[in-house]
Amino acid sequence: MIQLKNLTKTFDKQYAVKNITFNLPSGKCVALLGPNGAGKTTTLKMIAGLMHPTSGQVELANGVKGDIRKYIGYLPQHPQFHSWMTGMEFLHYVARLSHIPKHESQKLAEQLLDRVGIADAKNRKISKYSGGMKQRLGIAQAMIHKPSVLLLDEPVSALDPIGRRDVLNLMEELKQETTLLYSTHILGDAEEASDEILLMHKGAIVESGSLQDVKERHQVDKITLRFDGNMKAYKEKMEEFPFVTHTDIQKQKIHVYVQNVPEARDVLLELVSKEQWPLLFFEVGQTTLEDLFMKVVNEHAMADHL
Amino acid sequence: MQWLTIYKKECLESARNYKWVWVPLVFILFCIMDPLTTYYLPQILESTGGLPDGATFDIPTPPAANVFMMSISQINTLGVLVIALITMGTIAGERKSGVAELILVKPVSYTAYVTAKWAAHVTLVLLSIFVGLIASWYYVQLLFGDVSFIHALSTAGFYGLYIIFVISISLFMNTWTKTPGLVLFLTISIIMILNLVTSVFSHLLEWSPTNITSYLPSLLRTGEVGQDLWLASLFTIVTIVLLLFGAIQTLKRKEIV
Repeated sequence: MIQLKNLTKTFDKQYAVKNITFNLPSGKCVALLGPNGAGKTTTLKMIAGLMHPTSGQVELANGVKGDIRKYIGYLPQHPQFHSWMTGMEFLHYVARLSHIPKHESQKLAEQLLDRVGIADAKNRKISKYSGGMKQRLGIAQAMIHKPSVLLLDEPVSALDPIGRRDVLNLMEELKQETTLLYSTHILGDAEEASDEILLMHKGAIVESGSLQDVKERHQVDKITLRFDGNMKAYKEKMEEFPFVTHTDIQKQKIHVYVQNVPEARDVLLELVSKEQWPLLFFEVGQTTLEDLFMKVVNEHAMADHL
Repeated sequence: MQWLTIYKKECLESARNYKWVWVPLVFILFCIMDPLTTYYLPQILESTGGLPDGATFDIPTPPAANVFMMSISQINTLGVLVIALITMGTIAGERKSGVAELILVKPVSYTAYVTAKWAAHVTLVLLSIFVGLIASWYYVQLLFGDVSFIHALSTAGFYGLYIIFVISISLFMNTWTKTPGLVLFLTISIIMILNLVTSVFSHLLEWSPTNITSYLPSLLRTGEVGQDLWLASLFTIVTIVLLLFGAIQTLKRKEIV
């Protein structure tokens, strides 16, 4: 649907987005995932045409170049409105700007307000809206001209649990109608709504693909242990085994990433009982997307220090 | 169509901010202040203690046309400041707050966006100034003597052109920075510099927009539009077009956020 070719953006010689190339497939829901400052917002703004790339380009698959705004709906991270307007007026205004005829835009605005769940507040001034209502109005204005691509910048991060659920459900519906690209730094949201993920770090895409693929590719068996007292010493001992790829300590737990689970389990348990280590917790499992997220971020952070 | 949508929205915004009320009132105030204070100067002096005994101070009644021109020069100082104040945030403010992000991500033509905003402000300001000047003309007529209404109208017309020029400078500056205060500063500075340069080199710069004001007294008295005034007006119109064109191009080039 949309192709990004070697998209790069620099601010004062610092890379915000570094040579991104990817193809946003039509009808898919893609999550742009990454820690704060990874370049997600900059990427979305460049696709929306609000920022100009330093180099590279954004192309629409159907060959349209130049002004592609007609095909794009965009919700900024913190949407701002003309707060002196009512929700209805604003939607109507935006619809008229999108070349929708008058009678139709009125109807469309009503429908959308109903759909995002703020029909009750349609004749209230936007300045009186709560954060969640503004977010919903923001989604409505992004959808109003039936864009082929909908870009949502952190659509649920600022919402309370109920609002979050509503918006995620709405996104689930929207998936049927348009191509969806949304950014988030919350892994759960990415796992829930998206077909594919793009993991960004320091302006570059470090991992991409369907959620299942990415998971499988990075799924590593791990054994999690917890001991009483200082765990540094135990960690070093366990690192010596050949089947251990690496270990780390998080939240008072040692994560041991292993290659051969049955062997590792037996050996580790034997070790624990032989040495009489004060074991509190033992679990055999697999890495989650969050582990992957942390791993990618950490690996790159490590690389920066070297 | 899109142009009209933005124009209507701007007018509605001015209505919700009561600009349609207070801007005309302010201009009426500016315009009638001088005719009234000039006429009542003897009484004002009297009531504040009067002159010492024996001192004779003859205050000549100025010609009616001069009093009308006082109103225009009042607009030229205070009025221009008000104009710069009400236009300083029209684009800069929208960009600063982030509304422009939502608006300009829609397929909005930059030309429509700039010119509709410009037209809306021109409508508001020109209407206010005309109301103000008509009030001034009424009091001048009442208190000082005859000034041809037709001449006053054509004077106001040419002066309106200069005012459009001021609005255009402000619009242009709006596209250069996101800070409304800076727009105000730049607009006022440019007009002051232009005034200064024009008055120093007045024999060379007959066509300068700020010179329009200096041709108005003779227009008001005789009703004849001199060659210099035509020249200056023509130059002003060209400059306005260029400023608008520049504003559109700048906005296109600039990143909205």
